[in-house]
Amino acid sequence: MKRHTRAAVSVVSPIVLACALVLTVGPLWGQTGPGDSKSAQKLSASAIQIEPMDPGDVPIPPEFRMAIYEDLIAQITKTGKFQHVYRSGDHDAASASDMVTLRTTVRSFTKGSQKKREVTTVTGSTKMTLNVHITDHAGQTLVDRDVQGKVRFLGENLRATYDFSKKVAKIVQDTI
Amino acid sequence: MRARGLFLLAVGAPLMLFPVLARSQAAVTPQAAPSVVQTDVKLVIGGGEKIKNGSHGTLSVVGSSLQFATGKAKVELEAPSILEISTNEDSRQDITGAAHFATMAIPYGGGRFLSLFSHKVDVLTVEFRSVNGGYHGAIFVLAQGQAAPFKKQLVALGAKTSAPLAEPAPATK
Repeated sequence: MKRHTRAAVSVVSPIVLACALVLTVGPLWGQTGPGDSKSAQKLSASAIQIEPMDPGDVPIPPEFRMAIYEDLIAQITKTGKFQHVYRSGDHDAASASDMVTLRTTVRSFTKGSQKKREVTTVTGSTKMTLNVHITDHAGQTLVDRDVQGKVRFLGENLRATYDFSKKVAKIVQDTI
Repeated sequence: MRARGLFLLAVGAPLMLFPVLARSQAAVTPQAAPSVVQTDVKLVIGGGEKIKNGSHGTLSVVGSSLQFATGKAKVELEAPSILEISTNEDSRQDITGAAHFATMAIPYGGGRFLSLFSHKVDVLTVEFRSVNGGYHGAIFVLAQGQAAPFKKQLVALGAKTSAPLAEPAPATK
């Protein structure tokens, strides 16, 4: 019986030690240099400024440009990640020291038709792909990826901008 | 003879001075710009905290500002603060909302058939800066042919646009 107890202790104690080591060193390991740590980025951004969408060479109707911008403001505000969500040109943004900047550039845009979507189901979807670029106050890139927004079945064409903005808000929430 | 002269002076003086008076009055009171009003306009986006997106109300140009008013609240912006104003055409389904979902239950593709019924609308998009310099936008959906008068009026009042409205070609005999 005593032999069994000794064996159990000899097996369990290294595991307990290992767990203790992980619990102690783990959090310290997470606090690495400012460059590659997500947690460090999380701590540093209390404000975001959203710049107007750059249409590039892609013809995109003005109502879609505006809807993307306003939906981005609404969805990023809704995440609750930032104390301040500044619009482009806002004078108050000048005083924010730990602010990140969100820029979007259109890669492609296809305006569909609500009527076609609802009649045929398979055609008439509105699709847009935009490059999302987020930089910190020093200009270092935090996010640089293409995001798609679409409305495939039901709803007005402008709903594609809502879909896009929801995805960007999710990226912001996961990254910063 | 003297009495006749006085009579002529009494009658003629107001007639001679009237145009002068009228002109000076016009110079003192600035001529108010003709107002453009449209009811049952949908504000798709841009009501801020005061008006919920998707609200219906009255859009008008009053003085030098664009106003959108619902039964409960009103928002307005000065024409010179408008960076870009544009009009576009789109179409909207005749059956919307809960009724639209109800049509999906119609058998033999009846709901799809009803989706064929739509009407053309005008979309008025306005980009502007607020007092603190922030960039904003608003999108209005109006009845077909109703957006152009707003754009014309606001451009005349100082709003900027990169695509001016085309003047109608003069009629040729």
